[in-house]
Amino acid sequence: MAGSDEVNVNESKSVVPLNTYVLISNFKLAYNLLRRPDGTFNRELDDFLDRKVPANAIPVNGVFSFDHVDRTTGLLNRVYLAAPENEARWGIIDLEKPLSTTEVVPVIIFFHGGSFTHSTASTAIYDTLCRRFVNICKVAVVSVNYRRSPEYRYPCAYDDGWAALKWVKSRPWLQSGKDSKVYVYLAGDSSGGNIVHHVAVQAADAGVEVLGNILLHALFGGQKRTESEMRLDGKYFVRVPDRDWYWRAFLPEGEDRDHPACNPFGPRGRSLEGLKFPKSLVVVAGLDLLQDWQLAYAEGLAKYGHEVKLLHLKEATIGFYFLPNNDHFYRLMEEINEFVHSNC
Amino acid sequence: MKREHHHLYPQTDPSTSASAAAGKSKMWDEDGCGGGGDDELLAVLGYKVRSSDMAEVAQKLEQLEEVMFSAQEDGLSHLASETVHYNPSDLSSWLESMLSEFNPLPPPPGGFGGGPLSVPVAAAPPRPQPVGDPFLPRAESSSITTVDFGADQRMQSSCGRSSQMNEPPPEIGSSGIVFDEESSSDYDLKAIPGKAVFGRAQAQAQAQAQTRTRLASTSSSSTSSSAVTAKRFKSSPSDAAVGAAPESSRPVVLVDSQENGVRLVHALMACADAVQQDNLSIAEALVKQIGFLAISQAGAMRKVATFFAEALARRIYRVYPQNPPLDHSLTDALQMHFYETCPYLKFAHFTANQAILEAFEGKSRVHVIDFSMNQGLQWPALMQALALRPGGPPTFRLTGIGPPAPDNSDRLQEVGWKLAQLAETIHVEFEYRGFVANSLADLDASILELRPSDAEAVAVNSVFELHKLLARPGAIEKVLGVVRQVRPAIVTVVEQEANHNGPVFVDRFNESLHYYSTLFDSLEGCASTQDKAMSEVYLGKQICNVVACEGADRVERHETLAQWRARLGGAGFVPAHLGSNAFKQASMLLALFAGGDGYRVEENGGCLTLGWHTRPLIATSAWRLGGPSAGAAH
Repeated sequence: MAGSDEVNVNESKSVVPLNTYVLISNFKLAYNLLRRPDGTFNRELDDFLDRKVPANAIPVNGVFSFDHVDRTTGLLNRVYLAAPENEARWGIIDLEKPLSTTEVVPVIIFFHGGSFTHSTASTAIYDTLCRRFVNICKVAVVSVNYRRSPEYRYPCAYDDGWAALKWVKSRPWLQSGKDSKVYVYLAGDSSGGNIVHHVAVQAADAGVEVLGNILLHALFGGQKRTESEMRLDGKYFVRVPDRDWYWRAFLPEGEDRDHPACNPFGPRGRSLEGLKFPKSLVVVAGLDLLQDWQLAYAEGLAKYGHEVKLLHLKEATIGFYFLPNNDHFYRLMEEINEFVHSNC
Repeated sequence: MKREHHHLYPQTDPSTSASAAAGKSKMWDEDGCGGGGDDELLAVLGYKVRSSDMAEVAQKLEQLEEVMFSAQEDGLSHLASETVHYNPSDLSSWLESMLSEFNPLPPPPGGFGGGPLSVPVAAAPPRPQPVGDPFLPRAESSSITTVDFGADQRMQSSCGRSSQMNEPPPEIGSSGIVFDEESSSDYDLKAIPGKAVFGRAQAQAQAQAQTRTRLASTSSSSTSSSAVTAKRFKSSPSDAAVGAAPESSRPVVLVDSQENGVRLVHALMACADAVQQDNLSIAEALVKQIGFLAISQAGAMRKVATFFAEALARRIYRVYPQNPPLDHSLTDALQMHFYETCPYLKFAHFTANQAILEAFEGKSRVHVIDFSMNQGLQWPALMQALALRPGGPPTFRLTGIGPPAPDNSDRLQEVGWKLAQLAETIHVEFEYRGFVANSLADLDASILELRPSDAEAVAVNSVFELHKLLARPGAIEKVLGVVRQVRPAIVTVVEQEANHNGPVFVDRFNESLHYYSTLFDSLEGCASTQDKAMSEVYLGKQICNVVACEGADRVERHETLAQWRARLGGAGFVPAHLGSNAFKQASMLLALFAGGDGYRVEENGGCLTLGWHTRPLIATSAWRLGGPSAGAAH
């Protein structure tokens, strides 16, 4: 294995800019330290290593943010909004007016990645990403600080996602457009993408309107090993055994990867036929070993009659969107922009 | 299509989205240092890597991965649980220190600069204690002296064994001693493993790495951002907010239905604005409106609004609070309740003590100079930890500095006595001196009766005191100069993590409004209503000072960690990083003592902060003397 790792190191280094390589390799290394073979997790060291930023009500580059905590549940959401045009109002959080009375301002509820285990809504890579969403895609963003495994297994993350959705939909200050409603999209990367799917299903079941789902190399899997998992194992920052560890940490004890949380269209999955399910933008990174699962997911949605746009970035690795130093980043932003504004 | 990007060169293809794409400014800007500056894209994400070091960092990552792979489980487990990690933002150093775990290196040619908390490798071993030195107390005795460095120049000294003084048996429970025997054994500092100290091998590797890369070593934290000194805007990982300089950052955490409380906040801000504009009739009207709005609020918001409204009213009607406060016993009682109610002071003491203990490792005579003596709450825990040191405790000397008591009672003396009694029961040789001073700036190094630094290791400790010096021009510079003269092994500083010292009143008002709102929120979980009420009064006095006072009276001049880094760096100190062991133990302490679930310890460029949810509220940093070239060169 050591031999093939050397080759792999050079491969991943040649397909991303050097600073991206450093960033993602650093995560990979740190995460290796934190996962224990017995399934436990070194949470203190994870917290220590995690680079966080506080919210900032004073706009920076046109975006400001603030946090909201539900005292009973402890669930924290970080809200990102475009800066008020009137500079005199900077730093003042106005929750009395809607986002707009004339235009539609989409609200993206964002679920950060980290394989259900790492990162938070205040982790710098995600805070930065959300700010970029606001700026480039002209949206509001609410980033959900969902509970993480292994301390909190399935279905905690989904429950928190559902609670966040209800909270967002009921905020008058997130409304926009002439009919004064909250225009909600769900988005997430890695485990966040997985959460998007399950929250959207719950919403559809409950008749709560979600206008679209955006899944950024979402975490799906199953018991069988797909061709891409075998071909790409260990090649571009990710190894199959590590993926297995995170599923064992998230799924109920004793469950396997065909559990519907992991494999929604698998042998224990559920038909979405006839369900009023939102349209989906499924983004697949061509160098992600999980792509077969993600492609199958997109096909599954189509099979059930739901609208899917597949964005297959053949030369992208995981995490391509953390740094705006590559084409894939811009392509992604363009697609998201179009996806959330095409309804207006 | 794939494009190779080198961040050293400006982008050739900024689509219109590219400039908007920057979640921060200057993404494509060549920073003024050319190839020597930090990679700006990584900096925003919390990682400080010089562009010119990028390839080397990549190599280290690869090396480390290989080594970790070969080491398998045992090695990984050691690296995760035994190794102490420091300042993960400085990737190069962090990786280097892990690599050295696997590859101990030969000693470096010279000493090394700043970096993790450690005993300098090049330091000579402590000299044997001179026999019969007149300054050194005899074994088993404690001595206590109080020097009043006020106008009187009265010297009082009382020496000798405490048993001769007919003191009642030590009241460990209520007076100066914080934790009872039971709880202290759970959390106490004997749990710090010997390996907590940044080991020799790592220190050497660190030194090698640093002399290899660049001269100015872990100025990582202190040279960055520098809201005070930097002319150019430059982001720092430790600043956290995307590209914001400290004074333009306002972390807001709303809790529950405070969305309704937002109107109250607006009224308060509008009132402050009116006061600043000298529209006193409008301000007056608003203050009354605030009163009405506050009543309809619940919990923290109502109380905070009330304190701020009162402070505004004082400003409007020019009824300024008396300063300094007359009743010390009230202040003491308030502080004690604050101590009990919430973890802030405990965290401050605990983390500062961690740093002090590490700096005192291997020293047989140690001396703490405490700028924030008050009731001496910090010292029992340190003394207990020293008592439990393998090889026995050092001789412990404590110099406590505090303000004069208007009733002429000798508070400092009393506190010293209680500590002496504790010292006796735990068999630590103890010597105490108290100095009364109206301001720390009144002190000179000569008064402190310093001993040669090879005979005695000194720690200077300041918890929520330094900011008061900012009320008088020149005071902080003088005090830092005195600290330098003391030649401390470590300087521990704990301060509020907020900028309440900006030049514009409205900005100070708004900053402190949000800060204290969050602080009061964190108290809501407290079970005892009386403790909570007293803590709120304690904080209310601070609010009053920030809002209603000016000039020399306004002593609550809090500044942010980034600002303190600049000051201390400029005064010739280099950071001594607090590591993952201190972080972990602080987190454990929180779990034991904190009332609510929302407290968070965070690592910030080698410092530790304690906050409520995502808002850091206090910050602990530790410092050493830099070399002769440190300071101005930064």
